Amino acid sequence: MRPENYQAINQPPSNEFELNFGPNHPGIEGNYAFRVKLNGDEVTAARADAGYLHRGFEKLMEGRLWIQNIALVPRICVPDPVPMEVCYSLAIEELCGLEVPVRAQWIRVMQLEMSRLAAHLFAFGGHAATTGMYTPMFWGVADRDLILDRFEELTGGRVYSIYNIPGGVRREVPDGFLERLSNLLDYLESRLPDYDSLFFTNQVFIRRARDVGTMTQEQALKWGVTGPPLRATGLEFDVRRDDPYLVYEQIDFDIPTEPGGDALSRNLVRRAELLQSIRILRQVIARLPTLKGPVRCPIPNPLAWNVPAGESYTRVESSKGELAYYVVSTGGDKPYRVHVRGPSAMHAVQVLEKLAVGARLEDIAQIMFSLDACPPEVDR
Amino acid sequence: MSKELNLWLDKLLNDIENVKVERKSSRRIRIDVESDALPALLELLQGHASYVHLSAISCVDWVDAGEFELVYHVWSYETRSLVSAHTRIPREPGIYLSIYDLYEPAGFFERDIHEMFGVYFEGSPDMEKFILTEWNGPPPMRKEFDSEAFVNQTFEFEDYRPQWLQDIEEEGGGITTRPEDVR
Amino acid sequence: MKDIPYKYQGSILNPLRNLGFFSRKPVTEPLRPREASANYRGFHVNDWGLCIGCSTCQKVCDNAAITMVRIPGLEEDPVKGVRNERPAIDYGRCCWCGLCVDICPTGSISLTREYVHTCREDELDSYFVLPDPNGMHGEYFPKGWAKTEDADLVDLELQPMQEMDAETRIDSFDEIVAGFTGQHAIVEASRCVQCGMCHDSCPAHMHAPEYIRHIWEGNVEAAVREIYRTNPFAHICGRVCTRRCEAACSIGRRGDPVAIRWLKRYAMDSVSAERIREIAAEGKVDYISGKKVAIIGAGPAGLTAAFDLVKKGHEVNVFEALDRPGGMTRYGIPEYRLPYDRLDADVEVIASLGVNIQYNTRIGSDIIMADLERDYDAVVVAVGLQQGRSTRIPGSDHPQVHAAVSLLRKITLNEAFEIPRSAVVIGGGNVAMDIARSLARKQKMVFGEVNMTVAALEDFEHFLADPEEIRESREEGIELLDSRGPSTCRINERGELEGLATVGVVSIFDEQGRFAPQYDNSDAQFHPADMVIEAIGQMTDISLFGDELTERLEWNRGRLQVDDIGRTSESWLWSAGDMVNGPDVIHAVADGHRVAASIEEHLA
Repeated sequence: MRPENYQAINQPPSNEFELNFGPNHPGIEGNYAFRVKLNGDEVTAARADAGYLHRGFEKLMEGRLWIQNIALVPRICVPDPVPMEVCYSLAIEELCGLEVPVRAQWIRVMQLEMSRLAAHLFAFGGHAATTGMYTPMFWGVADRDLILDRFEELTGGRVYSIYNIPGGVRREVPDGFLERLSNLLDYLESRLPDYDSLFFTNQVFIRRARDVGTMTQEQALKWGVTGPPLRATGLEFDVRRDDPYLVYEQIDFDIPTEPGGDALSRNLVRRAELLQSIRILRQVIARLPTLKGPVRCPIPNPLAWNVPAGESYTRVESSKGELAYYVVSTGGDKPYRVHVRGPSAMHAVQVLEKLAVGARLEDIAQIMFSLDACPPEVDR
Repeated sequence: MSKELNLWLDKLLNDIENVKVERKSSRRIRIDVESDALPALLELLQGHASYVHLSAISCVDWVDAGEFELVYHVWSYETRSLVSAHTRIPREPGIYLSIYDLYEPAGFFERDIHEMFGVYFEGSPDMEKFILTEWNGPPPMRKEFDSEAFVNQTFEFEDYRPQWLQDIEEEGGGITTRPEDVR
Repeated sequence: MKDIPYKYQGSILNPLRNLGFFSRKPVTEPLRPREASANYRGFHVNDWGLCIGCSTCQKVCDNAAITMVRIPGLEEDPVKGVRNERPAIDYGRCCWCGLCVDICPTGSISLTREYVHTCREDELDSYFVLPDPNGMHGEYFPKGWAKTEDADLVDLELQPMQEMDAETRIDSFDEIVAGFTGQHAIVEASRCVQCGMCHDSCPAHMHAPEYIRHIWEGNVEAAVREIYRTNPFAHICGRVCTRRCEAACSIGRRGDPVAIRWLKRYAMDSVSAERIREIAAEGKVDYISGKKVAIIGAGPAGLTAAFDLVKKGHEVNVFEALDRPGGMTRYGIPEYRLPYDRLDADVEVIASLGVNIQYNTRIGSDIIMADLERDYDAVVVAVGLQQGRSTRIPGSDHPQVHAAVSLLRKITLNEAFEIPRSAVVIGGGNVAMDIARSLARKQKMVFGEVNMTVAALEDFEHFLADPEEIRESREEGIELLDSRGPSTCRINERGELEGLATVGVVSIFDEQGRFAPQYDNSDAQFHPADMVIEAIGQMTDISLFGDELTERLEWNRGRLQVDDIGRTSESWLWSAGDMVNGPDVIHAVADGHRVAASIEEHLA
């Protein structure tokens, strides 16, 4: 909101006041405003106010060639950019009927899981910070940095990898990369006891996070919650297993759930998913050297590439939930419509507003981080 | 998809008139339905065929045909399949019914579509602006809105004058093609 | 909540365990920027020696960050396909996605491992960068994201073109090349990056990028319209042009050039003759100017000039000495390369616009130049190079020693002549290949076997003929000999030609580059043959001018002197085509346009 448009509210003296939480606030993930009506320190009403990160991607994508959009797409979700690229590429591959080589599919799975690791480290690091524990936050960021080093080595970019194109990936895996990735996974596993002792089994945190932002399974299903928050209510649902894409059907992994439905459970689900991602990555590392072949299938000259008319709705499990792309093509060289359905579209707006009511002021940030709300996904 | 529910779904869909069903792959079904029959279809899908999760509502602006196409993507946890229900409404006046009572996630999507395309959903709890709170122009995702022209009109661009360019221009060279010319 | 399998759960020593942190290294980030990975997408660097200024990077950049800047002093050569422009990048817009690197046809632009740049607010101009080989700040950084084999976004391979195999084609004069089918043409047309190098290098400046784009879109009629803007002989050029465009094509730098010639043929073959006539007639003025123009010679140059002039409303009369039009394209190029009906189709389009062509009318005998000077407002001489040069070696005046062009004309006119059982061709250019392959077919038809030898001065690396001609003639059983110079045509006591004696060639050009072949007489070979054919060059029969006019005109070493708009020293006489420029169809077409524009200005 522009400063000149802000109007102060004149109220008679009471215990109720309206607080503008955000858009620049360390307790908010990204740039997002949250207007809460407080009675003392209990929230009576909440209203989300987005738009600070609106870059107009959906409109921009309509004016660019199919291949030029791969540079725009990762920017829609900052902590977890790879599922965006993969989902866009999958949608176009479905429209064109392109067959992605097997090796490229495994490389994509590797990237997706690496990105999930990085996003989860970021997410519970952030959650720790909202409860005042800054050490796990710095640890999370520092360990995520090591994962970003691997991304840099593989793709050339630390955060926005711009590495997946329709048809496969852009470059071959460098020599020795798998070994370094494996060492990194060993290191992350060895760090878990530290995280556990400081954060996950820390009674300070457990008492802060227990029963905060609780939702039942019925509520979760009614509100359209997906991803770790849904699994934290006990429902075992994961797009990777139930609507499989790439080569997830050939990989062994569990889907962890927790019955609690509160912020603590969501955190524990993320911790368990961390271990599952490491497990998947180990399988990929073992499998990749045995697969030979190209890393992408041939695509026409990008300046003269007409994708056949049709539409495609592709879903991918990002670290935050169900990510979907609806791509409509009219047979031209530019998309006709790209609709991005980010998981935070549900979590950060309606669910957050509903969960915040009745919570304490100091728990709002916790709820937001435990839901892993990502404002860039809401605003696009 | 389980066989019984498969048959159920087919029978269900055959009961409604003017429905065109296309099975695009093992987990994707496309249904084209008239705009007045859509809420009934969604209610049937939700109540009887376990499609309880609304994944998204997408809107496509078919400006040449003068229509908006609304696509409702619903997912079933039990049958693990996705049904995309397509319907078209005329661009003028661009009013449709809200399905907030059926699916709560629709609240967000309808608000977003209202803001971006100008479609009004009757019965929706919240039609206030969300992302574009201080925007006074036309709904920007409509095809007739040219965002590039808007940017060029509203903002001032300054040209770069680096030293190397000035040296080259002195020698007789200079800029030959600007990127705007070849877009 | 489930119990986390926590290693140290419930241990009383837990607080003491934390003392272990003193022994661990803290996370430390160095102050200096650390070295980036091998694949890093940092700032750009551009090898100006490789870069050809094609501006494909500008077209693929999704943020419109690249501007092309012309830099005087760099090489600029339209024939080779090099421009003196280089890309400049706006780092305020660039997102370092590397698409420019992946699509660059030459592989000149790449991203380095440099990633740090700071500036104050008044130094924002430093964000507009001209990448050169030295890097943004002049410091050396190794390459990061550079072009690799598997990451290329341009399609380097040609779509396959069907050709008859050697056994089938030697039996007839049927056209060898099948032409593209619709799908292949569209895929081949999609390879083009629209850089425009072909347009610059074509002598007639055909709008190749535009018609390739129309072919890709499936709109062959629009493609034909673009073609007819500059070339009314596209059926011919689509088959036999010397392809300056493909030599300059940017994709051809590292891969196969786009098959522009075959695409032109595809577009022309795909549209019906009536439709082509209608498209060609677009733009014709609907008044009659009252001016009359005479054109001598119904070849590409003459008829192109006729095409242009008749569309401007002038009355055009073309005089052709032989009985069919086309000039060397009919009587010189064999039918297996250019079927006569395609040639007739091109000429038919021009005639349908109202050009009068009189056949079997030889200027100098049926009509004389003085009549033309009197009756017409402008005259164009475009008679071509119909006579073959002779080596003048001993024995070359024997009746069984022929000039290649006259034999080719006989074959086209279907005039009978004795097919030699074995023959030798002197010369290594395209005409030598044409006559060798035509005679090979005749030999196969009459005798059932091929016995042709071609002896050229050049060595195989510098053979003047196209590589396809060389390959195809070898497949057809013709023996090619390089570095052989003709010494004598041996005639026996009965007066019959026995064959050609050749000697080895040491060098062809002297130090000043003049034609002065040096032979090694000790390396002598004899090639028995019933016929010797000379295909060493062509010249014009200038007898049509008559003595008086020949005196008045200015000549330049045997060729008619023309200025840069095609006009001779006589104000009413222009000249165009092979006789002025040397043998080449597309040059003749370009010449025809030039002369027509000049005449149009003169008559206006």
